[in-house]
Amino acid sequence: MRGTKTTKRRHQELRLADSILLLGFVFLLLLPVLARDSDYVLQVFTHAVLLATLALAWNILGVSGSISLGHAAFFGVGAYGSALLSLNFGFSPWLTVPLGGLVATVVATLMGLICLRLRGAYFALATLAFVEIPKVITDNWDGLTKGSLGLVGLPGFTALRLGRYSVDFGASPAAVYYLVLCSALLLASLVALIFRSNLGLALQAIREEEVAAEAVGVQVQRYRLLSLLVSGFFTGVVGGCYAHLIRYIEPGLVYGIHFSAVPMIFAICGGRFTILGPALAALILYPVDQFIFHPLLPAGHQFLYGAVIIVAVLFMPSGFWGHLRKGQFALLKTRSVE
Amino acid sequence: MPFLRLEVLSKKFGDFWALREIDFSINEGEIVGLVGPNGAGKTTLFNLITGRYRPSRGKVLFRDQEITYCKPHEIRKLGISRTFQSCRPFAKMTTLENVIAGRVFSGKFRLFPQRIDIDTAEELLELVGIAHKAQTPAGDLTLSEQRRLDLARALATQPRLLLLDEVAAGFSPVAVKQAVELVRRVQQKGVTLLIIDHFLTLSLRVSDRLFALDHGEKVAEGTPQEVMRNREVIRAYLGMRHEEP
Amino acid sequence: MWTSVFVSGIVLGSFYTLISLGFALIFGATHTFNLAHGELLVLAGYVAYWLWKAFGLSLLFTFPAAVVVALLLCFVLQRLFSLLSEPRELNSIVVSFGIAILLQNGMLFCFSGDYRLIRVPVLNQGFHLHQIYLSYGQVALLALSLLVIALLYLLMRHTYVGKALRATIQDREAASLAGINVSGMGVVAFGIGAVLIGLAGPLYGCIHYLYPTAGPQATLLAITITIFAGIGRLRGLILGGWVLGLAESATVFLWGASWRELVSTIILLTVLALRPHGILGRDER
Repeated sequence: MRGTKTTKRRHQELRLADSILLLGFVFLLLLPVLARDSDYVLQVFTHAVLLATLALAWNILGVSGSISLGHAAFFGVGAYGSALLSLNFGFSPWLTVPLGGLVATVVATLMGLICLRLRGAYFALATLAFVEIPKVITDNWDGLTKGSLGLVGLPGFTALRLGRYSVDFGASPAAVYYLVLCSALLLASLVALIFRSNLGLALQAIREEEVAAEAVGVQVQRYRLLSLLVSGFFTGVVGGCYAHLIRYIEPGLVYGIHFSAVPMIFAICGGRFTILGPALAALILYPVDQFIFHPLLPAGHQFLYGAVIIVAVLFMPSGFWGHLRKGQFALLKTRSVE
Repeated sequence: MPFLRLEVLSKKFGDFWALREIDFSINEGEIVGLVGPNGAGKTTLFNLITGRYRPSRGKVLFRDQEITYCKPHEIRKLGISRTFQSCRPFAKMTTLENVIAGRVFSGKFRLFPQRIDIDTAEELLELVGIAHKAQTPAGDLTLSEQRRLDLARALATQPRLLLLDEVAAGFSPVAVKQAVELVRRVQQKGVTLLIIDHFLTLSLRVSDRLFALDHGEKVAEGTPQEVMRNREVIRAYLGMRHEEP
Repeated sequence: MWTSVFVSGIVLGSFYTLISLGFALIFGATHTFNLAHGELLVLAGYVAYWLWKAFGLSLLFTFPAAVVVALLLCFVLQRLFSLLSEPRELNSIVVSFGIAILLQNGMLFCFSGDYRLIRVPVLNQGFHLHQIYLSYGQVALLALSLLVIALLYLLMRHTYVGKALRATIQDREAASLAGINVSGMGVVAFGIGAVLIGLAGPLYGCIHYLYPTAGPQATLLAITITIFAGIGRLRGLILGGWVLGLAESATVFLWGASWRELVSTIILLTVLALRPHGILGRDER
């Protein structure tokens, strides 16, 4: 009797989750039409989607149980790498953004060598401190990076031509929005693939019971490094996109604690053990912050992020999406269930 | 040629000898019980064989190959698997995913679990009798189910030698009987077994030989009857009981 | 020249020890990391600044108010930390990180983002001692830091609470077997930690600019010194502070002020690399 009741409730919850997802997706697709009068709304959502991508990238490491407080290192290096390549060699951002991601991967390797011997709290503290290394170097390498002055006048994404059609990212905020949305969807699909692959299985096993994971043959350190590198690469790519969208960067901005904190907060509030949770949290919390709290409290509106992370860790450790989808997190199905 | 051979194997933690000069071997196809009171060094011995700890002295040989300083995953690849006293399931993953994780990291690396991996995992869940819990998070299983899951996960790695750490501890008589059958079925699959069994619930019924440890040293070795008559063993077990208030 | 680098390093280092004491004590007794430590310190500084600026209160009289504010906040913090689930160390980092964000935004709201400094002109005057120039500020800072450290030392050595606290820090299980209320000691540690933060904050406001995001830098210093010292060693904290202070003043002298921020990072990462199992050194059997 009780069993059927809970099953019924769970089904309702799952249906609710699915409808939220579908509605949200349709909303995101139609947003440029819905908000055609307001560039501001579109701008906020463009940034929200960018942050969602960042949170997805963070969670590639997060799913292995390691909490990084140092992803701003990859974000900043990706932004600077891409910006400098485009400024000094005149390459198109389409090329320099992935290259910036590769530079971030190099930095991720360095972070891995230093920090991955550590676990849990000590890993988190080490990553928090690590950010200072690329930041201070960028700050001091005046000849290359112009130091704390920052880099201005970065090229934006150039127009894409496909036969007779062309998309001009300079003129159309909607085009930029769809570009960012596409990258977010691509990364989300990739994360879904990773979660369902043996790599994902290994990372989750490491998170749950490292000793047992080792005993079934998972090469723990190798997988942890791999997830850090992949996570670092995509964080660097997002950093590069950010640089060419904002078209101005400085060390205090791109290496700031903001870009370490925000993906962690979104991932934990949304649900570290889910594929979409981190992205959904970004898509909800950032607009709430911008549309509701920013007008109310111009100074100090970001207290929201502090409040939600405290509530999430203390009262909903699997995140809101993880909580809604509880019972349906099985990624690999049996024949019988299908 | 012995299947697994330990030569003067010793492990020291600080000033404390957890194991001292253990010489011991297992033949292929045997079921050997490893008995002894708490703190005798049974689990430490498992950790040495599976490469979690490095011995302070001595050697471990598996099929005439020295594996003393191999890494856990290398030893796993050679065909040695273990279960854990505390089960250590991957709690937030489903039961099925737990067993699949046991299988996919042993052989050639593939990016995704194959159909056959999933099928084999389901068969193993059926073998240990928890197939109906395939989609349950492993953390939600009962202790007895978790022990079965741990066994299934270890079997999924296709071991030649399986080290079982207290698989039947705290089981009811009926469950012990099922476990006995299960161990025999595993043996029939061609797996050699070394079983830690503090309360002798399982090993007296299934073992070909017993090996008794006390305070990190070997005290007896032989058939279950011989070992149970051994005065040192009786003292180690009963002496401990008598000292308890 | 190197003598004055040495002197300023020791002065700076003693002050660094002072600002890490609260963090180290809370970590030692409760095994939680309080990443909002720097924010509490800066907030205590702001309280002193506000009293000094708005009411013309002498610096000396601002300490009690700063202590009271720190106590109130640490009490809230302690309640929140008592709700933490396992793994507590890691979760305490994330929760206190959230608290740090709350405090930063609260300070931004109350005090705006402008840089503030408590100016006490006499502290900038100084005297020569064997060709070394010392400002009264440096002398006061050194004396006050050492005074607070000495008081803490006496408290920990010669009072019942101090001894119980030390026992808790050294071995929680043994302490609780000996009849010490370990979780009660956690509350005491937060209380004493708050007093230390309240005493250090106004001093911080005299020698550093106060701004809402100044906290993380101080937190990083506290983490570095605490992890350098290892658990439960007051002497280690002093040594850690001096090493950090000397390394920073040497770095500033050799390469310039812009490299200073890297010093604590490198010391922290080196110590962690040498002791990968953390400073508790727990080895799972």
